[in-house]
Amino acid sequence: MRYLMMQKAGDAEPDEKLYADMAAFVEELTASGVLLATGGLDPVGFKMTSAGDEITVTDGPFTEAKEAIGGFALIEVRSKEEAIELCRRFRRIVGDGESLIHQVYGP
Amino acid sequence: MTNFPATVGAVWKQESARIVGGLLRLVHDVGRAEELAQDALVAALEQWPATGIPDNPGAWLMTTARRRAVDDIRRARTRERLAPDLARRPEPAEDDVLRLMFTSCHPVLPAEARAALTLRVVAGLSPAEIARAFLVGEQVITQRIAAAKRTLAESGAAYEPSGQLSSVLEVVYLIFNEGYAATSGADLIRADLCLEALRLGRMLAKLAPAQAEVHGLVALMEIQQSRSAARTGPAGEPIPLHEQNRGRWDQLLIRRGFAAMLRAREAGGPAGPYVLQAAIAVCHTADKTDWVRISSLYESLERLLPTPVVRLNRAVAVAFAYGPQAGLDLLDELHADPRMAGYHLLPGVRGDLLIRLGRAAEARGELERAATLAHNTAERDFLRRRAAALDVPEDQGRPLGPAVAEYLGPLRPATARAYGQTLHRVVRLAGDRTPVASLTSERLAEIFALCWPEVSPRTWNRHVAAIRSFTTWAGEPSLAAALQPRPLPATLGAASLSEPVGAVPALRERVLWCLLRESGAKVGAVLALNVEELNLDDRSARDATIVWRSGTAALLPELIAGRTRGPLFLAGRRPGPGRPPAAADLCPETGRRRLSYERAAYLCKRLTGHTLLQVQRQSAVSSDWSRCSAADGSATIELTAIDAALPDGAIPT
Repeated sequence: MRYLMMQKAGDAEPDEKLYADMAAFVEELTASGVLLATGGLDPVGFKMTSAGDEITVTDGPFTEAKEAIGGFALIEVRSKEEAIELCRRFRRIVGDGESLIHQVYGP
Repeated sequence: MTNFPATVGAVWKQESARIVGGLLRLVHDVGRAEELAQDALVAALEQWPATGIPDNPGAWLMTTARRRAVDDIRRARTRERLAPDLARRPEPAEDDVLRLMFTSCHPVLPAEARAALTLRVVAGLSPAEIARAFLVGEQVITQRIAAAKRTLAESGAAYEPSGQLSSVLEVVYLIFNEGYAATSGADLIRADLCLEALRLGRMLAKLAPAQAEVHGLVALMEIQQSRSAARTGPAGEPIPLHEQNRGRWDQLLIRRGFAAMLRAREAGGPAGPYVLQAAIAVCHTADKTDWVRISSLYESLERLLPTPVVRLNRAVAVAFAYGPQAGLDLLDELHADPRMAGYHLLPGVRGDLLIRLGRAAEARGELERAATLAHNTAERDFLRRRAAALDVPEDQGRPLGPAVAEYLGPLRPATARAYGQTLHRVVRLAGDRTPVASLTSERLAEIFALCWPEVSPRTWNRHVAAIRSFTTWAGEPSLAAALQPRPLPATLGAASLSEPVGAVPALRERVLWCLLRESGAKVGAVLALNVEELNLDDRSARDATIVWRSGTAALLPELIAGRTRGPLFLAGRRPGPGRPPAAADLCPETGRRRLSYERAAYLCKRLTGHTLLQVQRQSAVSSDWSRCSAADGSATIELTAIDAALPDGAIPT
């Protein structure tokens, strides 16, 4: 089953060690086939709203910086516990902050 | 709040390969390595709830297991000197996992054991999970894994991994196909096998990045897996590749497959079977399928893997690239291949090509034949519907299946069963609805050669007799013209019978065989004779329904030995207390029971090598077999059949 992990941008400034640890973590998960896709997100996005026939585009930012989603990872695991375990390891690397995890259905 | 067993299980699945692989390096025994790792898991279950989950659970498990291994080795005292070094070894090297894979996929193991053991120790699945995936009992998997570990330990394979990458690839692809072949909704668990195989493949690609075939296999699996959602319809029926809804293909996996293909190309070297199959899979993802390229890829593949299935696929590709006739020509060679005899896709493909050539009548025959052979109900219905939709004039004559049923109907049950064995097999290969008139004697001979390539002449003749009987009944006797009975090997002649195989037959046996031959009576009737029924002077019994001649007459008094009543032929021993015989079968003078048919048959077979029936029918023998034949040689008589129609009740017990 697939899970989408979304990271909220934390307060902590990334340092050299974080980059190195993350690179090793990403490499390991990619090699084992767990990590299907990952990427960082621009905290300033834009919003599109539809109402009837009308579609409105609004430029961001919309939330406080630390509430914005800063990155995502799409993982393929066997169980929810595996997803939790991976996210736990991830949180250890990035330090304080918050992740949202949703199971992905389909395609 | 943490669910510790579930967390430990998740960690185990992620880390088991590295842990067991690292331990294998220390203990050189897959079974022992796994036990140590399991011990560490138990320790984790005990300690984590108190201490919390460690930062790096995998390393924690590894360290714990390694300590135990070292303790173990210390205790064994055989490698005491080494133990301190072992404890200080650096973190496990990546090739530990590769080494573990080479070990669990070692060619000394049978294929299914390799798959089970790999899933157990490399993928970290429990025996119950593996059993569900392979649709067998958990016990079977446990035993299979245990036997595999034993074999590995005995062969010393853990010390010398085969290093054969092809063997590992084969196991991974086997696991993938096991899951991929399962299509129905109830088999979702089996589909997980595909993901396990993908994981193993990706892991392998990381460990052996220079091997083009590894990347080829990964690419092949990624691309095949990308279609998993699109390859079956709502009712579970298979959807052919070119009719699938491409929107349901998983683009992510397709891209991963492409990336693996690029890595395979970078690795270089001549394209192996997996790279070629992956290249074919890649071609199929294009919007407009390049059949010319696919057929040339299949041609290369056939050079590496000259199997009939590859040839069949190539024929399909060639038919798309160069026209149906070209494909059909390629298929002709397969027709006589015994490996394809029961494979429904061959007639299925032929039917397809014939439709495209406008030969509807032949196409219908092939599709119906394919339907008869198909195992899957959804597939069978699909083929039947296609066959029925063809516009074919109906005056084709009587179809084979119903004709056979009609023929067998009025026969005696035993005959119908015997002939049915032959005819149903022929129907299966020729097609249920194939008109009898459209069969040719060449086709029939071909079917016979496929079905019964290496049978004894006697069996062959039985099948030939059945088909001849049928064709004669059907008014087409010429159909069986190409099928000739085969000469039997020299049967038992006088010479062979004159020298009994075993010991010299006892008096009782000699009398029995003599009496059988001379009287021609049924075996059951002869065994049922009682002493008081014999008329020795007249050489007859039971109102002269059993009559014998001088051979028997000379021996009888000795056998009777003064008895006045009770069974003539007696068993060697008294009956046991558990099975009291009927009063009529018990000799009042000796307390022994009547010789049973089974025992008589056994003795005869053992002493002469022939059945009672054969002994009785060897009329020529009676004059030669001096030990029990009449001195005047007059024992040659007309024989009546005492065949197996002997009613059960007539067999004395």
